[in-house]
Amino acid sequence: MRTWWIIYLKELRSFFLSPLAFIVMALFTFLNGWLFIGVVSAMREKAMPYSLVYQLFGSGWFWMGFFILFPLITMRLFAEEKKMGTFEGLMTAPVRTIEVLLGKYSAAVTVYLAMIVPLLLFFPIFKMITEQEGAYNAGALWGSIIGLILIGAFNTAIGTLASAMTSNQLIAAMLTFVGVMLHYFFGFFSSLTTVADSRWNALLNYFSTPVHMRYLSEGLIDSRPIVYYLSFSLFLLAITYHLIESRKWTV
Amino acid sequence: MIEVSGLTKRYVGHTAVDDVSFSVKKGEIVGFLGPNGAGKSTTIKMLTCYLTPTAGTATIDGLDVERDSIQVRRRIGYMPENVPLYLDMRVSEYLRFRGALKGLGGRKLTAAVDEAMEICSLVDVQRKIIGTLSKGYRQRVGLADALVHKPELLILDEPTNGLDPQQIRLFRDLIKDLGKRHTIFLSTHILPEVEMTCNRVLIINRGKLRASDTPKNLVRRRRQGGEVVVDIKADASAASQAIQALKGVTDVETEGVDGDWARLAISSKGKADLTERIHDLAVDQSWKIRELVQRDATLEDAFVDLVRKDGVSK
Repeated sequence: MRTWWIIYLKELRSFFLSPLAFIVMALFTFLNGWLFIGVVSAMREKAMPYSLVYQLFGSGWFWMGFFILFPLITMRLFAEEKKMGTFEGLMTAPVRTIEVLLGKYSAAVTVYLAMIVPLLLFFPIFKMITEQEGAYNAGALWGSIIGLILIGAFNTAIGTLASAMTSNQLIAAMLTFVGVMLHYFFGFFSSLTTVADSRWNALLNYFSTPVHMRYLSEGLIDSRPIVYYLSFSLFLLAITYHLIESRKWTV
Repeated sequence: MIEVSGLTKRYVGHTAVDDVSFSVKKGEIVGFLGPNGAGKSTTIKMLTCYLTPTAGTATIDGLDVERDSIQVRRRIGYMPENVPLYLDMRVSEYLRFRGALKGLGGRKLTAAVDEAMEICSLVDVQRKIIGTLSKGYRQRVGLADALVHKPELLILDEPTNGLDPQQIRLFRDLIKDLGKRHTIFLSTHILPEVEMTCNRVLIINRGKLRASDTPKNLVRRRRQGGEVVVDIKADASAASQAIQALKGVTDVETEGVDGDWARLAISSKGKADLTERIHDLAVDQSWKIRELVQRDATLEDAFVDLVRKDGVSK
């Protein structure tokens, strides 16, 4: 527990001491601000049956940002240490692999959460300025926050695994990009198909981020996506754990 | 302190470390010698729990490197090859991080970091970012990291690699000094360093342990004969022939001719001291001598001999 905390703080520190963190954060907030303006203007044009929250997170454009965000947050976690050789120093200190893995992973999740805080502030600010009480309700916002946390935890786990697979940060970033994107589009296409009674469709929807977010951003908190993202994150972390351990006896 | 028996690490197609056994007693400074690729680093990585042996066991202070890995790592201060460091951290910050990882906290941590910086003369640069430091300083940061938690055993993988002669000398003195408080196991291929600092030498080649002895014994064992160098004013070939005829001489080689002077290297077998006979011969022949010395075998010769016997590994 103590070791986990030391590694967690060190990771956060090295992330926020690099200019990259602030560039990414600024860019992510800027693009989402733009998107937010777009959604607001669309709502001004004609009446919409959905809330502001639903409109924003229902937009494919919003998720595009994630394809870039997660590679940038996670690529250095293990790849950099392996490249620099500091991984050997780290693993020969009296630390458990699980503490190292969770320290790094939770630091990356924290960074991600720090990135979405400005985005979440858009909504109360909008309400405050426009006094549009009906723009969204608390349930929709909280549902979306839960969704963003879960999806973030899952995507960070993809990135953590990718970073542990290689000592090249660029390769780690590409793998994460591909992983996050494939997962999203896989769900995106299944959310487009409307074969009503297709069992396949129902199964595919279980993996579909857009479908999950559609419910969550309406304020409908379903346990299925919660179980889905948490269990898959754990699964990916377990693979990562064994991958890190495997260096000891690879032949 | 270290007990290694039958330690083996096999990779597909080659065996990096092959059935190596040795032990290191408390308080010893042991040099681990071998050409590049001989298996030094692999052995060290197994001792420090970074890699798991394919076969055999290693214990540190009676604790098994596989089963009591965390306990073993607490007792070791390890400085890996090429001294990897977090280049974006400040010196004191890095040492605090490492000390904390090794279980120190609060006032103890601050005191330990201060002491380690003191020992390694880092106090002046403690606020500097490691990436801006020279190689010599980085090496010292690595050493300070290794000893920050006052481990009983220091394992240093090529600690003076890449330093200039002045820095090597400073580092050597530092290691000698540390030897009073810690057991030290260091790998290197700089031989004079071993001769000067180590009580005992282990020589490894192609994954196999070739020798384990004091540097003096290794040299003595090697010198069954000896070599005498003489610089005389005489015709090189005539002098060679005359010396060749002396008792005990196995070979005479002309090392160089400088005007009227000839420099000959004479090898012999047995314990016979040839200098006397050569001197008498020179007096007989009325050659003028400007140098006549018995050339001592060095650890380098012993090392090269041992390694050459089974060929240099790739």
